[in-house]
Amino acid sequence: MSLLQLAWKNISGNGLRSWVVALCALLVAAFALFSTLLLRGAATSLELAAARLGADIVVVPEGAQTEIEGALLMGAPAHFWMPQQNVEILATFPGVEAVSPQIYLSTLVGASCCSVSEMFMIAYDPDTDFTVRPWLQKQLPGGLGLGEVIGGDYIFATEGEDGILVYGTLLKLKGNLEPTGTGLDQSVFFTLDTAHEVARISETQAEEPLVIPPEQVSAVLLQTKPGSDNEEIAVEIYRSVPGIYPIQSDSLFSSSRTQLKSLLNTVVIIAALIWPLAIVLIGMVYLMAANERRRELGVLRALGATRRFVSQSLLAEASLLALCGASVGAFLAVLAIYLFRKLIMTSLGVPFLLPAPGSLALQIGIGLLLAMASVFLAALLPAIRISRQDPAIAMRE
Amino acid sequence: MITLENVTKDYSLGKGNTVHAVRGVSVEIGAGEFVAIVGRSGSGKTTLLNLAAGLTRPTSGRVTFDGVELWKLTDTQQSYLRNQRIGFVFQFPSLLPTLTVLENVFLPTTFGSGGNHAEARQRAQELLVRVGLADKLSSYPRQLSAGQQQRVVVARSLINHPEVLLADEPTSNLDERTEGEIMELFHDLHTSLGLAFVLVTHTRQLVSAGMRTIEMADGLIVNGTAQA
Repeated sequence: MSLLQLAWKNISGNGLRSWVVALCALLVAAFALFSTLLLRGAATSLELAAARLGADIVVVPEGAQTEIEGALLMGAPAHFWMPQQNVEILATFPGVEAVSPQIYLSTLVGASCCSVSEMFMIAYDPDTDFTVRPWLQKQLPGGLGLGEVIGGDYIFATEGEDGILVYGTLLKLKGNLEPTGTGLDQSVFFTLDTAHEVARISETQAEEPLVIPPEQVSAVLLQTKPGSDNEEIAVEIYRSVPGIYPIQSDSLFSSSRTQLKSLLNTVVIIAALIWPLAIVLIGMVYLMAANERRRELGVLRALGATRRFVSQSLLAEASLLALCGASVGAFLAVLAIYLFRKLIMTSLGVPFLLPAPGSLALQIGIGLLLAMASVFLAALLPAIRISRQDPAIAMRE
Repeated sequence: MITLENVTKDYSLGKGNTVHAVRGVSVEIGAGEFVAIVGRSGSGKTTLLNLAAGLTRPTSGRVTFDGVELWKLTDTQQSYLRNQRIGFVFQFPSLLPTLTVLENVFLPTTFGSGGNHAEARQRAQELLVRVGLADKLSSYPRQLSAGQQQRVVVARSLINHPEVLLADEPTSNLDERTEGEIMELFHDLHTSLGLAFVLVTHTRQLVSAGMRTIEMADGLIVNGTAQA
């Protein structure tokens, strides 16, 4: 009989104790993994969204800062406008290499002329664009033509069609982008020409016309020259051009980043409380169990088990229980994240992206190791203590 | 084979109180001998047995096994010696409740030199046949009577072909008839295997002809021969 077999038989023969230890491991692993997946998923999502935007500075009308973050992160439709002449003005600032306007639109709610309700739509200028085209190049080297759209990860063509009905115009869905976990996954991208064409057709085909104010844009995306001080440029723009607000890409989604930071702090505080408590609880369970089994362990020593064997046997039990409990905990954490990710995103107001399989496996591995290390640590002292006891004393009750 | 030289064992009870369980005792147990240690409860019999087996460290004096001083051995060497050369039968139920009868019997082979598992199982089965429990291999200890459990313990004590079997009040929890059966088994094993036996008992009736008797009182040998 091997040490592990003996440990496993002891586990199965001591139901209540085994359940308590396994439950503690389950909680530690589930909490660690759930919070790690959530925080990393949100952070990755924010990074991807900022990277996809691809601009060093995003200029929006003053007061629209929160609205653009809501649109990009949660897909909440945004409607704000500023004069198109700002595009030329912004291009003249020193340090600015490229500028490109975008128009933000949304579909109608519950209207038969739109197949998706309240969908966020981004229209870009293909002549000046430097943000959308780089990620289109793989799928559509020629870019988007008139009447063509590319969708986020969650955008599907209307059943029976190869496109999406928007304000009475059937736009051809040319493909889908990689997921970001943000509102961009529920958005479509098309050219300014397509936007104006949809607006024109909507006057006769839609329940309500799509209105694009003339000579207006929603935002201007800026690319700065390498080595430029983005903060300095943003400050200069803000001081010189009235009615607009420049947001640097690294301070974009600042409210979400703040939310994420406070979430991280909460998790750290909870972990700081739960982890030592779990270790103390498991330690107490093992101390009690070791005392309860003093005679049994004394008999093992009398029969020829070394001190090392006795402590290893107790630690093997603890490790097996930890592995079982933590595996279930990890499974539950991943399941909970997978099933409730939308609810979590909405209630916490942060975007979320499920990690890639490799990264998920690594995080599960770390969660399991953490739980096993906790249980091992908790069982170590009782195991050493009991194994050092004089067998004759241990056998006397 | 086992020699105790001027051995004492004190237990501290705290607050300066000390129990002198064994006080300067010298005993020699020879190969193939059947020694009965008798005495009233608290006379030091069990402590003497534990000292002989290396289960407790003497406060003073020397314990040797075939000339090797037990407390100069490492824990691994001492454990190996117990595992290979000494068999134990305890007063209390000492089977592991989570193991079957068969597993309990070959359990000590787990701690030894890691010999052949199939051989160990085979020998365990043979021993269980010998103690009359051939039909209980897959039973758990809780499914056996006290007498049957003690027979399993005897089978377990023999698994590694020991040279000496130490039995501490092995029949104290048994009825008279089962007590007789167990004693008969001991005599049979002693005769057939040539094992040395050390039997601790408070019941003089268990002492029979051919046994060397050592009587203890208050931690001292008060009657009997200390040498074979």
